[in-house]
Parts: sequence; structure tokens; C-alpha cells
Amino acid sequence: MASLFSRRRNKAAQNSRVREQKHEGFMRYAGFRWAKISGGLTLLVMASYALIDVSPRHNGGSWYGYTLGTMGALLILWLTMLGVRKRRRSDDHWSLKAWTSAHVYLGLSLAVIGTWHSGFQLGWNVHTLAWALMMLVIVSGMYGIAVYALLPRSLSANREEMTQMQMLEALRAFDRQLHGTAQGLAPADAAPVLAALSENPFAGGMAARLSGRYPRCATAEALAQLGQRRGTSEDVEKVVGLLGQKQAALGRLRRHLRLRALLEIWLYVHVPLTFALIAALSAHVISVFFYW
Amino acid sequence: MSFILRRIATTRSGKQIIRDSVLDGDQILLGRDSANALHITDLAVNPHHATISSHDGRMVRVVAQEGLGFDLNGRTLDVADIDSMGGAELRFGSHRLTISQEDQQIILLVERIDELSEASRHIDEARAFSLAGLLPGKRISAWLFAALMLVAFLAGPIWAWQTFRGVDERPEGFHADKTWSSGPLSSAHASLKNDCQSCHVDAFVAVTDKACVSCHTGEHKAMSKAHANASSAMLLAARREGSLGDQFLARIAQSFNRPQGRCVDCHTEHEGAGAMPATPQKFCADCHDGMAGRLSRAGHPTTLADAADFGTDHPEFRPLARTAMGAKPERLVLSDQSIDINGLKFPHDVHLDGNGGVARMAASFRGQYDFGKKLECRNCHTPEAGGVGLQPVNMQRDCAMCHSLTFETVGGVKRTLRHGKPDQVAADLTAYYRSTAPSAGLQLGGIERRRPGQYAEGQIYNIYFRESQMRPSRAEDAVRAVFSLGGACYDCHTIYAPTAGKGWRVEPVTQTARFMEKGWFDHGTHKETACADCHVSASKSAKSQDLLLPSVAQCRTCHVGETGASLKKVKVETKSSCAMCHEYHQDGGRPWQPADDRKKANYRDRENMRRNVDVSAVTKSGQEAVYISAVPIAPKMLYRVTWREIGQPDNRMGAS
Repeated sequence: MASLFSRRRNKAAQNSRVREQKHEGFMRYAGFRWAKISGGLTLLVMASYALIDVSPRHNGGSWYGYTLGTMGALLILWLTMLGVRKRRRSDDHWSLKAWTSAHVYLGLSLAVIGTWHSGFQLGWNVHTLAWALMMLVIVSGMYGIAVYALLPRSLSANREEMTQMQMLEALRAFDRQLHGTAQGLAPADAAPVLAALSENPFAGGMAARLSGRYPRCATAEALAQLGQRRGTSEDVEKVVGLLGQKQAALGRLRRHLRLRALLEIWLYVHVPLTFALIAALSAHVISVFFYW
Repeated sequence: MSFILRRIATTRSGKQIIRDSVLDGDQILLGRDSANALHITDLAVNPHHATISSHDGRMVRVVAQEGLGFDLNGRTLDVADIDSMGGAELRFGSHRLTISQEDQQIILLVERIDELSEASRHIDEARAFSLAGLLPGKRISAWLFAALMLVAFLAGPIWAWQTFRGVDERPEGFHADKTWSSGPLSSAHASLKNDCQSCHVDAFVAVTDKACVSCHTGEHKAMSKAHANASSAMLLAARREGSLGDQFLARIAQSFNRPQGRCVDCHTEHEGAGAMPATPQKFCADCHDGMAGRLSRAGHPTTLADAADFGTDHPEFRPLARTAMGAKPERLVLSDQSIDINGLKFPHDVHLDGNGGVARMAASFRGQYDFGKKLECRNCHTPEAGGVGLQPVNMQRDCAMCHSLTFETVGGVKRTLRHGKPDQVAADLTAYYRSTAPSAGLQLGGIERRRPGQYAEGQIYNIYFRESQMRPSRAEDAVRAVFSLGGACYDCHTIYAPTAGKGWRVEPVTQTARFMEKGWFDHGTHKETACADCHVSASKSAKSQDLLLPSVAQCRTCHVGETGASLKKVKVETKSSCAMCHEYHQDGGRPWQPADDRKKANYRDRENMRRNVDVSAVTKSGQEAVYISAVPIAPKMLYRVTWREIGQPDNRMGAS
């Protein structure tokens, strides 16, 4: 256990890690130390639940239920402290990676502790509300881990070493060229180009961001309309070419936005629901003692 | 006439460079086409968008050409006349055209005021590329959700509680503290589901017995009585030390102001709709297992025996029995030698023998009565309405088929001695002998030949008339005969000879309606079992005083403990918890059973059962008692029994 809990990082260890240049994510931190600890905790809870005879039946109000409930509540408060820890620099105890690793694995074991605390008695009440919020927070966290593991690869594949602003700059360059080239077009031909220029690449709302689908894309529309007019003039030819390039750039930007949205969305659930959970948990605990 | 066209360019350093150029002519063209005098590179502007003309060098007329207008002071127009002295701002696409007058000349200033495209606008990278602009901030929604939870599920319920403090019954409707309910209430308490405060009276005070007793007055009294009106201290002393976990919980509960030993410890609520869960054996055994020792150590000695499980640890029954004629019934430990003296002489063995005279007699009555080849238990023992117990044996109904009290038949009508009225019996017999002549002797009738020379006639005459003369005094002999060995009364009853001032007396028969008052036994649920399977020694019992109740061991041939524990191997197990026979509240009725078990036992309706079975009042009249049923509106007589007389007759004629 001593090695399991040697949290203090000494300078030498830090340096050696830097030298090794071997990346170790929070999931694999310290040889899955926290995975082992919370896995053991989960098994302990499940086994003791099965072995301990509570009459008339398991529920949150038995001594075993109170034990699990207290554990769960303290765990929830500690897990929330990750938000505080990550905003504070600390070179001494508990690297942020260690903290995150513990957060993830202990958070997963909370699903078992909380559910087993309930004795599987659920209903339409504040107690089950607290449980449901807890499960939502945990599930959103699991989603977060999944996308952090899967999406960054797609994100970097999509951007091809361009920065976000470079993507946007490319778009702007195509817009400028389009604007210039389209000056010679007849009003009927210029209108779709103008619409394409007036399209905000960041517009579309949550649905478009998450799905990456933009059914009324003005650039695509302009491309389709002017595509039919190809051969009428040299300007049209040029404009169609530019529109095609703009659409490719826009597509890359939109894929980037979608991946980023998928990477970020869970935090908009995870964080606010954590606070809702803490409030519901307080109501749950107070109500138990209020109507003792 | 000419216009001055002014263009302003802004250098990288922010410096503005103004360039003026002169456009000759009264009229100039404005448009995207480079051939126009006023050429604007803007796709939102038509190739030949408008003409700008002036004839007097002051008034300017702007006319839109190709369908697209222009904006002037927020309105879209096709034609506008503008006084250049006053000046005006017109908008074409993304450009602004400012018309003004300077040095008698009309100045046209053209500036791009909008970005070339939407993508070209300045953006905040961090915000635009993230979801920050699309969703409410995490911080604000965190506070908002948290506040919502606290208001709806903490402030609301407390407010509801505060509003109805001291109110007897809450009005119908939604009350916010309902959201605190940890589960549905049992069906018995379903009506309280909106009224949390009917039980949870004070904040942070655990539900008290007072809250229960405010409705359950009767149960509480009965329960206290059943538990010897024991003080809470005594009840708590009776409890077995719990497991480590239970002790831990008890200590926590104590420190959190949650006392032990309350009604709700056993009667758990919020465990789901439906009937309250049946009380498991553990709740009884928690105290009664090894209780005597604990109680005596705590200074509350008890005579109660320990019990933990019917199959393995249950004391022998202690039925009510009278050990002497006319004695008060007392609880005695049941054994093979147990006796209960009820005043009757009744040998079960003779009556149940399949080959004796009784069987012959019963067989001879087949068709007339419900007899078989021999007597069965049911021929004399009649179940009560509802089938729980047996009615007391009734002479007229249960014995008189064979034990007839007929002493005369008049015109086909049988005259019988009055049962239960010894004085009346004596009087009836006396009257009979006084009013009737002796039957004519054989000698007085017929046509047989008599021997001549004898005083035959006189002899016969004398036989008859002497008899007639003596007949009234024969009554006394007849009465004595009836009440003596070989007589109709003496056969079954204990008789006391006449004493000064009193006639013949019969020991009152005392039939115990319920031998085991602390437990419940239902003959109806044992219909499938033959009587002799439990009352095993009945067929061998030669004396009425034999107490033929089955022992615990006998019950255990079928009944095992709640979890199936038994001392001997049982073929067909009937798992039996304490509550099958014992009711905690001890109100004398049937122990409560979960609905499923009741169905199994083939009962129609529990309420009807109780009404039929329960005796709510006993009205005494002399030696008789009338049992009244418990139907609250219309009391109904259940049955009549002869009641034991108080006070002992001093002169007994022993049943030798």
C-alpha cells in the first residue's frame, strides 16, 4: 500500500519522467492504481450487500444503507473538488493527472455505491431525483472519457495541421476572391454568390453543430445554381471553381466545429448537473432527518 | 454641372487619406459595372443600380434603375429628391453614399461600411469555435439548477410543513413535502399519503408512538395488556443484543434523537403500496429468544418461557384446564396425564369403538341420523359458524339421538324428561306415577285358559289393584332410579343426592370454549386432516377428564419453523412463523395474515370470519350463557351453553 499511495512527487522522479518522454494518460496513471482501488471498492460493496442480512430488506435507512450513503455523499463532494483543484497550481501533492485519474475511477464506483445505497428502491421522490442526477453526471462523465479517447485523433486528422484561425482565414480568402470575381456577374447570378458570402460559418445552432449537417447551406446552394450556368461566361466558371473551394474549406471548418462540440457538450451537462446533484443531495439528507 | 466624388482610404496606421475627383455632367451612373462613373465593387449593388442627377447644383435626384432600391434614413426607396445643403446618407448594399454640399459643389462620399462577407467579420476565437455562444454558461446553469432543486425540494416541503403545523387534517391536493416520501404507504395508511404530518409531527423528531396511538387507541391498549403493561424499560431489556451493525445503528440513532422500541420499529412504512409486510418471526424472536434470562438479569423476572422458532424452540402448550370438579380453570403444561374435569362422564373409547354396542346402535339409526357404521367425531361435535372452533356439546342436539329421555308416548307424541332441570324431572315423574294406572298385568287380559279351582280371579285382581294403590309411592323410586347408577342422568352426569330443603342436584357441566387463549387454532384450516390425526389418544380415552389436546410435538409432525427448521424430519412441511398462531396485539381474534395466505387458507372474507367467530358479549342468565356475535349493528345469538355455577355443592355423590 505504501507504494500505492506515494503521492509526493520528487524532483528526480519528475525529471526521469520527462526524460522518458513516454506519455501516460490519466486512464493508465500509475499502472491503473485508481482503477484497482475503485474496482476493489465496488466489489467490496457488492459482496457485503449480498452477505449482510438487513431486515426487513435492504434500504437506505438501514445501518448498511447509512454507511453507503455517507460514503457516497462524501465521495460526491470530493469528486466535485476536481473543479477547484484544476484551477489551482500545485507542484507538490497530487498531480492533476493523479487527481483526474482518481476522479474518473472513483466516480465510476460511485454508480455502484449510490445505487446499492438505494437498495434498488426507486420512486418519484427527491431521493430518487438525487440518484438520477448522480447517474446522469456519471453517464455524462463516461461520455466525456469516451470522446476524449476517440475524438482527438479525428480532430487532428481533420485539421491537417491548420490552426482554427487558419481555417477561418482560408475561408475569408475565398470570400474575397469570390467577391472580386463575381463583380462581373449579372444580378441573377450574383445573388446566390452574395448569399454564400453572407452566410455565417458559425451559425446553425446546437443541432447543426452536433450533427454537422447544414441543410440550407448557401454555399452549396450557390454552387448548385451556378453549376447549371456553367459555360455562359468566364466569370461564372471562375466563381464556380471558387465556390467549390470555399465549400471544401467550410466543410473542414464545420467538421472541426462538430468534433469540438462533441468534445465539449458533456461538460455542459456534467458541471451544472453536479451542482443540481449537490443541491438535491442536501435536500435528500435534510429531508431524511427532518421527517426522521 | 459636376459632382465631386470623394473616397477615403485608411492606412494601416489608421491615417485617413482623402481623394477627390470631379465627375462632369448633370447625371452620373452608379453601379457595380466598371463602366459607371460611380463604380462600387459590391455584389449587393446592381451593375447599373441608380442614376444621380442635379440641375441646379443643389437639389439631387436619385433614381434606382434595375429594381433594387436604396436605403434612405432607414427606408427603402426607388426615387429620392435630396437637398444637398441639408445632406443625406444613402445605402447601397454594403456601401454608404453621403451627399453633402461644400463650396457650392455637391460632394458624393462613398465608403464601405460592412464586411465583405460574414466570414470576414472579426470574431472571438475562443468563443466562436466553442459551444459558449450557443448554450447558457456552465456557471449560470449550475447556479440555476441548484437553486431550482433547493426551492422545489427543500424550501417547498419545509414551507408545506410549516403551513400545516398543528392542523388536524390537511386539505386535499398537492403538498410539496410529498416529494420527500421514500415510497408509497401501505394500503391501510394510503389515505394519509398527502398528510405527512399525521405521523411526522415535529421537525427532526423521529415518529413517536403518540402519533400512532392518536388513531390506534384500541390496538395500543390491547398490545400493552398483552405485554403485561410492560414499561418501555422492560420491553427494551427484553430485546436481544443485535448484530454489530445493529448496535452501530442503534448508537447512531440514539445520538441523532431516534429512540428505539417504537411502534415503527416493527411496523415499517413507505415499503410500497399493498398490505403492510407480514411481521417476520425475527421481530418476536428478537425478544422472546432467551428473554427470561435477560429480563431477570434486568430486574423484571418473568414466568414466560423462551421461544424462538416453532420448529425447534417452542415451549409445550399450556391450555386452560380444571383439575378438580368445579375448580377455576388454570393454565397447565400439557402432558399425557393432563386432565380437565368438566362434570361429565364420557368415555370416548366406548363411543368411537367400531365393534361395540354404540357402533351397533349408531348403525341401527342409519338413515334416520347422519350416522355411518360407527360413530364419528362429527356426529357429536358440531363446528362453530365459520369453522374456527367447535360448539359446546349440546344434549338435545348431540346426545339425544341415542340417549333419549323419553318416558312416555301419548298419541305418538313423545314426552321427555326436561334436560338441565332436575327438579322438573322429579316433578314430571311424580306426576306421571300419580296420574296413570299401572299397565294391566298379563293375567288380566287375553283369553288363555286358567286353571280352575284357584283364586285366580281374586289373585289377579289383587295383583293389579295393589299395584294401583301403591303406584304414587313408586314415583320416588323411579326418580331415585333416574338419578342413580344405571339411571338416565347418572350415566352421564355427576349427581348430588337430595339434602334438606334441596332435591336431586346435577354437577354443572363446564365446557371450555377455547383451551389455548394465547394462541389461535382454526379447525377450519385443518379440514383436510382427520380429527384423530391430531387428537391421537381420543379413541383410547376411557375417561371424560382426559385432556385430548395435541401437544407441540404433535403439531410439529406438519408444522416447522418459519425457515423450515425442525427437530425431526417432516414429510410435508408447513412453514409456520409466530404470527400464524400468535397475534402481537392479542385482541383475542384471528392473527393477521397477508392476503395471499388468507386466500390459500380458502377464506372468503376476513371480516365476515371475524364477525361470525368473535364473541363480543356474554349475557348470563342463571346457569345459561348466551354468546353474542360481534356484528356491530345487529347482535346475533351464536349459541347457548350451560355455564358453570359458582359455589361448590357440599354434598356429592361420587361417580364410583
